[in-house]
Amino acid sequence: MKLFDSKSKQALKDPLMQDNPITFQVLGICSALAVTVKMDTAIVMSFAVVFVLTMSNTVVSIFRNMIPSRVRIIFSLLVISSLVTLTDQYLKAYMYDMSKELNVFLALIITNCIVLGRAEAFAMKEGPWRSFLDGLGNALGYGIILVAVAAFRELFGSGSLMGFQIISDSMYTSGYQNNGLMVLSPGAFIILGLIIWVQRTIGKIEEE
Amino acid sequence: MRSNAYTLIFTSITTVLLGFLLSFVSESLKETQRINEEIDIMKNILYSLEFTEKDGPWSGEEVKKIFDSSVIQKVVSADGEVIEDLIPSEIRADKMETQFPLYVKVVNNSVDGYAIPISGKGLWSTLYGYFALENDGSTVKGIRFYKHKETPGLGGEVEKDWFTNNFVGKKIVDKNGSLVSIQSIKGQVDTSSPDAYHQVDGISGATMTTKGLNEFLMNDLKKYDSFFQKIRVESKG
Repeated sequence: MKLFDSKSKQALKDPLMQDNPITFQVLGICSALAVTVKMDTAIVMSFAVVFVLTMSNTVVSIFRNMIPSRVRIIFSLLVISSLVTLTDQYLKAYMYDMSKELNVFLALIITNCIVLGRAEAFAMKEGPWRSFLDGLGNALGYGIILVAVAAFRELFGSGSLMGFQIISDSMYTSGYQNNGLMVLSPGAFIILGLIIWVQRTIGKIEEE
Repeated sequence: MRSNAYTLIFTSITTVLLGFLLSFVSESLKETQRINEEIDIMKNILYSLEFTEKDGPWSGEEVKKIFDSSVIQKVVSADGEVIEDLIPSEIRADKMETQFPLYVKVVNNSVDGYAIPISGKGLWSTLYGYFALENDGSTVKGIRFYKHKETPGLGGEVEKDWFTNNFVGKKIVDKNGSLVSIQSIKGQVDTSSPDAYHQVDGISGATMTTKGLNEFLMNDLKKYDSFFQKIRVESKG
């Protein structure tokens, strides 16, 4: 068996663009609004989701033939919540300031529909390697959108990127103002809507 | 369909295994997390007492070093006496209402300011912070919030410099020496008003947050009033 046959490639690549979990499946919106005020929180959040999603997909897939079907969702949740708790504990110990900023949204990865959705729809049926790739693809697809939204919001809302001031002081003194809407959640909705619009126009996706 | 016995055994084993894993990880990271929390508190006390980060952000050790070398931790009672041989972390839960932590900034062996913890309800959440006075016991040295869940851009502005800087230099007592606390008012402070000495500009769109702040600041300052009265008398005499 080849490591990257066409189906594995598809599992990794599709969720990045045309089957993106946020912009196409419209899952995981709530955290996409909450942690995208600044880029650094968006990046850490993306890494957390990459870890949780790839691991949960792999673990669920390994045990897929042993899991009694009546308790399969409980089992998936057990695995997911354990992984999220591990991530949360790790951040609290080694990235304390970041874990304070993400606070409850990190724990809410448990309820992120992408994670349970992939475990249920993919990992319960496919082998560990493909499930791993599918998890990675979906998590990265989620992360790309998160970082893109965060970049817009931080640049226009706070005039900086990754905490570095981009818009110079002279701009502010000559009357430029940060857009307060970008700091609030509706700003994220608008950016997200624009991204979805652009993506569907380029991808020529038509609504039925 | 698998048998009930299989389902029960399977779930029991996975639960126990994952339970063990989680408690093991949590137990082994506990100490590091506790140190992080302590350093975070120290850092915020230092900020309120006007220590500034000169060369980039402080590392954990630097925070501890500065804190240990120039801040003395004390506990004061409700009638303003310093309780000897007690530090804030040792205040018993049942004594919280009568014993209050106090952090004294010492520069070249003389007192340069006092920080006290403040907390109370805003609109959505409890705000936590530190409030610092100069060594005269009446002039504000700084205020700093480190934990809250107010709306970013509205109530969340309490943690921003533009808001907290307004507190610096204001007085918490009137001419007769009675406590008036600091009031954040609607709109901008009219500097010609006789009350301007204890007023700061409010935050537009955050009426409930600033109202809450006014209330709990007053309440917290009341707890320390007898202590700061003594300080005020000493510094005048």
